[in-house]
Amino acid sequence: MLKIKLIILCFGATVAMLPNVVNADDAYPIALADNLSEEDYLGEVPRVLTVSRLSQSLADAPSAVTVIDRETIRASGIVDLPEIFRLVPGMYVATNAGFVYNTNHVVSYHGITSAYSGSMQVMINGRSVYSPLFGGVNWSELPIAIADIERIEITRGPNAASYGANSFFGTIKIITQSPAEHAGASVIATHGNGRNETFARYAGKLNDLSYRVTAGYREDDGLDKRNDFKRTRLLNAQADYQLNTNNSLELEFGLANGARGEGNINEDAILFLPRTKQIDNYYGLIRWRHNISDTSDFSLQAYHSYDRSDDETTSIDLRPGVRTAAFNAEFRRQRNLGRPVPVATAIANAAANAVSASLPSGFIRINNEVVQERTDIEAQHTFALGGNIRAVWGGSVRQDTMYAPHYLASKKTDKFDLQRLFGHVEWRPFEKLTLNTGAMLEHNDFTGTDVSPRASINFKPTPNHTFRLGISSALRTPNYLEEKFQDRLTLPLTQPNPLSATALIVQFRANKGNVDPERIISRELGYMGKIGDLQLDVRAFSDRIDDVIRFRPRTDFTSPANTVLLNGAVGVDINSGTNVGSAAVEGIEWQANWQLTDKTKLLLNHAYVQIRETQDGLKKNYVNSMPSNTVSALVTYKFDQNWDGSLAYYQVGKVTALGDGDPVDLARRTDVRLARQFNSGRFKGEVSAVVENLFNQHYEEFADYNTLKRRGRVNLRLDF
Amino acid sequence: MNSNIERNNGFVQALAHLTLMLGLCLPFSACAYTGVTIVLSAQTQANQEFIDAFKAELANNKNNNLKVKVIVLQVLEKLVVAENSELVIALGVKALEASAKLKYTTPVLGVFTPMPSFNSLLVKTKRDLGNFSAIVLDQPFWRQFFLARNILPEAKKIGVLLGPTSSQFADAIKEEGEESGFSVMEENVFSEPDLIPKLKEALDTSDALMAVPDPMIYNRETAQPILLTSYRHQKPIFGYSQSYVRAGALAAVYSSSKQLAKQAAEIALETQQAPSLLPPPQAPKYFSILVNYQVARSLNITLKSDEEIYQKVLEADNAEAKEHEEFRH
Repeated sequence: MLKIKLIILCFGATVAMLPNVVNADDAYPIALADNLSEEDYLGEVPRVLTVSRLSQSLADAPSAVTVIDRETIRASGIVDLPEIFRLVPGMYVATNAGFVYNTNHVVSYHGITSAYSGSMQVMINGRSVYSPLFGGVNWSELPIAIADIERIEITRGPNAASYGANSFFGTIKIITQSPAEHAGASVIATHGNGRNETFARYAGKLNDLSYRVTAGYREDDGLDKRNDFKRTRLLNAQADYQLNTNNSLELEFGLANGARGEGNINEDAILFLPRTKQIDNYYGLIRWRHNISDTSDFSLQAYHSYDRSDDETTSIDLRPGVRTAAFNAEFRRQRNLGRPVPVATAIANAAANAVSASLPSGFIRINNEVVQERTDIEAQHTFALGGNIRAVWGGSVRQDTMYAPHYLASKKTDKFDLQRLFGHVEWRPFEKLTLNTGAMLEHNDFTGTDVSPRASINFKPTPNHTFRLGISSALRTPNYLEEKFQDRLTLPLTQPNPLSATALIVQFRANKGNVDPERIISRELGYMGKIGDLQLDVRAFSDRIDDVIRFRPRTDFTSPANTVLLNGAVGVDINSGTNVGSAAVEGIEWQANWQLTDKTKLLLNHAYVQIRETQDGLKKNYVNSMPSNTVSALVTYKFDQNWDGSLAYYQVGKVTALGDGDPVDLARRTDVRLARQFNSGRFKGEVSAVVENLFNQHYEEFADYNTLKRRGRVNLRLDF
Repeated sequence: MNSNIERNNGFVQALAHLTLMLGLCLPFSACAYTGVTIVLSAQTQANQEFIDAFKAELANNKNNNLKVKVIVLQVLEKLVVAENSELVIALGVKALEASAKLKYTTPVLGVFTPMPSFNSLLVKTKRDLGNFSAIVLDQPFWRQFFLARNILPEAKKIGVLLGPTSSQFADAIKEEGEESGFSVMEENVFSEPDLIPKLKEALDTSDALMAVPDPMIYNRETAQPILLTSYRHQKPIFGYSQSYVRAGALAAVYSSSKQLAKQAAEIALETQQAPSLLPPPQAPKYFSILVNYQVARSLNITLKSDEEIYQKVLEADNAEAKEHEEFRH
């Protein structure tokens, strides 16, 4: 070091002595203390918050939006993603709903809740994960780790103008962290009652490529007295490649697979018995973002997803049942012919024995494999005109394919095509007024062409207070269950047999098809305000739903040639999805976000929802499919720099879910969480403990087969 | 989006006058120069704009016959300048670095040079300020705070991330911030992995973030995480360059090549007769503001027109400059 200084000194002296014209020579390097150069001021920086990345401010948005950020997710202490939606006003969440095809959380907004509630669009980074089979989302099978989620935006109210059919009651947009946002490695482990999971993630950067890989294993033992365990391996990788200042590529890949316990002996002791099935899902996505100018953006994305449920099940021995059915049918026939009871009994016995002897086996194997694939390509152009108009328009094509031999009674893969064109304009004629209008034109194979428009006015008398008046419409395309299911139980017979038939059939659903989409028109009045440290969001709504799709028995079903239909004998209806009536959903809901002190924050939600039948045709439980009152609250408190705690409270009124649901009473649940962050030089991270249902209320959720009890967990996160 | 309004700035003008007066009082220590050599290390658009504007400025002033020569510095090329009769204007740090090796009596004026880089060059080369000066790229902090104050009249706290290069300005930033009514929430970033956690802390405790140049904190690579994180926190960033605003910062004060050229031409003309009496290193005198209305809208920030904002900032800036002038007297 001294030597260098000496050289510099000598050289400096030499230079000073040289006359007039001098050679400034690189031999003496001036190493600048810092690398700050004019490039830092004048150089180009990749465009990050381009018009398409900038979402509307909540005060300008055409609908009520609840944003759940990473911090709220952390404070809530949840371990299953759908649990977080308990903190959204008007949402109903229930665990382990259903027992056929999947046993998953149900998340519904404003009711019409069934095990597969299909009235909301759910998207992860712009990829729709809504399943066309039963509708709804198989939450536990999504290849996503909670740790990777940055925020969730929930649009309360129809949002079809932006996201198309099935954005019926609302939209859930899950956004993961950008790979560039959180570099480093983390290990996360959770251990608790009926729950173990481990995740490892690594995010790094290679020049203009930032990437993140998350891998994990989840063991969920489910609820008491249910065969609903889940073992899931999952992997998710995401990469951003900044091609240059104005172009970037985003890539995603994910997979989830594992074993699932399924079947419910109390509800169905005949066909879908408790068993273990395998799921195998993966997806890939690529998106090109092109920044055309300061006020214009283009993006093109394509994704493909594959979801397989490998399920084969064997019924109990159906011979005794068939024998009884045959006996009853023949006995009734003989009595109708005027035969006395002993004679009728003897004849019916002989017939029943003959039929039962014609069954080669009473144990029927059902191949209930389901493979769903989705390919979707979407282009979108966002632009601003002057300072006051912002617009987005675009189009997409999608193909869903469905292989479900049992449900569709066919080994053929069914295809469902969908094309969309959409446009949306936000116009601010005055500082205090924002108008939003948009529409989506959609064509699909089930219901043809439809348009879903929307319009709203936001009035901001002051920057802190916004009133919103909106009207929007949306459609819900019937799912496969409602449009195409032809599921039946087929019992082959030996030849010859006294019925001269090839098989006995119990038909469950025989959809006639051509069901019209459900239609919703939603009117709402919203208020958003900031009063000191209190942020308030109130929404009063009046929705009208027409062409409600329900199952109705059909009597005109004829079984295939040379088969005998057993439905009458066993008392099973043959159902077909039918548009039956109208309903109104009305109510008011609010959300308060209150920073009580520097250390205390309160999130409070309440919804009052009433469903009314406005036209004959809906069964009573339709109107009971949403609790009248739901309340949720989350208080977080920061003790000091390291310690923080939270308390969550959820109260759900009595409700009767549709489908596989039962009437359940009002339920109260309190969760507590205590966390300590640490940073001991090499190791940084957090230890936390959560107790769910602190007061151990044994309440039922969704159906009487789900009893919830107290559960505890500890969680450790280490960052390197 | 772009407000390209040029105005005179009292403070710097006062400084220039002062320098000129001093220059006239002193005996002529060197000969008046007859030409200006502009040294640049790369032919960038900014450099070209500077050269064109500089020539135009000189042409507008009829009382001179300064010849303008341009040298594009190739790597390892030896810089050759008529040292006793030229003012050397170096565009960019590399050009200034090379020019610093010229004879000590050759007046060298750096342009497009960040203040910390100029300072470290000054220390390293031991040149005296009369012959070695700069119009630095850094806008005065007060000007940036005026901008923030105008855009966010109700904001109380402003977050600042300071790294190895920018930490030297901590006190100045605090002081200038307080003068504009801001509590400055300072977070020190010592290593790259610290950046995002510290940023989050700063965002959590402040109403907005003011970017202070530091290569470890604000660079091409960190733009995405910084802008995304601040956006997620719904907090605006005040940048220090046009490109940062285009990338997603809410607003910035900056000086265009043309504005810097105008200031450089003024210095060239004023010091022509007193070459060894360059004015001390100075902040840009003329400036513009750039506002990203899309970002403002998305953050629900109501903005006046950029023209209005500029006028307000300029007024406050002039008043501030006057104060500094009085202080110097």
